Amino acid sequence: MTTASPTMPQPAARQRTVRFRIERCDGPGKPARWENFDVPLEPGSNVISCLQWIAAHPVTVEGVKTTPIVWDSACLEEVCGACTMLVNGRVRQSCTALIENILADGASEITLQPMSKFPVVRDLAVDRARFFNDLKRAKGWVPIDGVYNQGAGPGETPDAQAERYVLSTCMTCGCCLEACPQYHKEEDSADWNGAFVGAAILSQVRYFNEHPTGSILKKDRLDFLSGPGGVNDCGNSQNCVKVCPKEIPLTESIAAIGRAVTIHQIKKFFGVKR
Amino acid sequence: MTSVPVSDAAPASFLDKHAFLLRRLHSLSGVVPIGAFLIVHLITNASVVWGLINQRESGDNHAGVATFQHEVNFIHSLPALLLIEIFGLWLPIAFHSVLGVYYATSSRPNVAHYPYQDNWRYTLQRISGYVGVLFIFYHVATLRWGWTFLVPGGTQWTADHAASTLAMALRGHESDLTLAGLLVAAFYMVGVSLLVFHLANGLWTAAITWGLTISREAQRRWGQICFAIGAALMLAAWSAVIGFVTLDPAKALETENRMKAGQTAPH
Repeated sequence: MTTASPTMPQPAARQRTVRFRIERCDGPGKPARWENFDVPLEPGSNVISCLQWIAAHPVTVEGVKTTPIVWDSACLEEVCGACTMLVNGRVRQSCTALIENILADGASEITLQPMSKFPVVRDLAVDRARFFNDLKRAKGWVPIDGVYNQGAGPGETPDAQAERYVLSTCMTCGCCLEACPQYHKEEDSADWNGAFVGAAILSQVRYFNEHPTGSILKKDRLDFLSGPGGVNDCGNSQNCVKVCPKEIPLTESIAAIGRAVTIHQIKKFFGVKR
Repeated sequence: MTSVPVSDAAPASFLDKHAFLLRRLHSLSGVVPIGAFLIVHLITNASVVWGLINQRESGDNHAGVATFQHEVNFIHSLPALLLIEIFGLWLPIAFHSVLGVYYATSSRPNVAHYPYQDNWRYTLQRISGYVGVLFIFYHVATLRWGWTFLVPGGTQWTADHAASTLAMALRGHESDLTLAGLLVAAFYMVGVSLLVFHLANGLWTAAITWGLTISREAQRRWGQICFAIGAALMLAAWSAVIGFVTLDPAKALETENRMKAGQTAPH
């Protein structure tokens, strides 16, 4: 009895395959290279399921055995943002990148690349530490810590709640940053200070400033966004709002922060306290 | 994973320390005085075309030339014109240009991957800025500062013969339209078109920068108004360039000489 190598892909003759071109990298500072894989097309398959198939059959189209591809993913339902990558050059979550839809759009093959605005950890996995650091710099939280029970917080109208709800759906995936021509990769964390924070941070500041309790930190946040890397670094290309998978009105948030910063700075100039 | 510093160290450079003020002065200077001046400037220059309807000069005289000369005479009758130019125009334009180019260098256009109309608009705003700086420098240096070595044919623009000398400078010769003149004229068409776009789009984005237009609907409505302003200015700009390039300098000179004689001769 002959035994086929368990790593060799053995698609049935009648089964269609789809060609994956994947940009790989062995680690930070290592050179990038391309590897191609033919993956059998399953009904309802998405980029993640194809990456899982490649992990089980890590052999390139040339028949060369290689290592499984590294990628990040968690929820697989487009609410965590972890599996964000470039699919055919465009940033999106790979879990909701259905192969049939991509092919229906006229693509003959599928290229996968890591996001270009964050340092690559390995293959398709990137380190978004700067993004989370910027959230900290912008004080993206509601301060509720105290030494005694402060009772119930202020009430909120349904209208304000509805307006803020969509802002709360941001999953820090980074699509808006990837598509932004004003947001650039900063490998060295010493360069993060002063570099543009991008649409997601601006929208989160709007979200927390409009929160009745979160607004306690409003002035700190607006001081931060008045400076270098803040709202003034936006160039109004408006790519962010078009690639946002949660359809957050990012350009409205940017304009709202623009107005808030204008008023904040005028008040500061004239010494208005409240 | 690297450890994450949460750094809010005070920024050091002058540009960083005054980031907000400089950004907003850059935005404001584009609207006032530069934008306001460009509107007046283009309407004045287009008078070589719209002046045809006001019958300032009867008979075979060129009413457009006469109207334009009349407008130029008015401008040159303003007191302290050089001070107005230096502090109202040249310094604001230099400020807007230098800061604008500095800001634009932080841009990495990506229309290849994200070919949205807004992204093209963003990219063109930066291209029009770069080309606009070159065009304005050539325009002011040749026609206002008298750097005639940059003018094909070497024409020196004078306020007394505003239309005829301008036509000669654009055509590259006293009478004929030369190849070099055609290049200058083409540069003018491209330059003014890009600057009109730069102003119209700048008016639209300034409203976002200052926080006047927040909702998508407000941005769309203000965008329609900016488009209308841009289209009207584009019409004025093209009228002016085409009007002067197709002008007969000799005939224009006759009209101007008659006007000059009329001003000085006692009645």
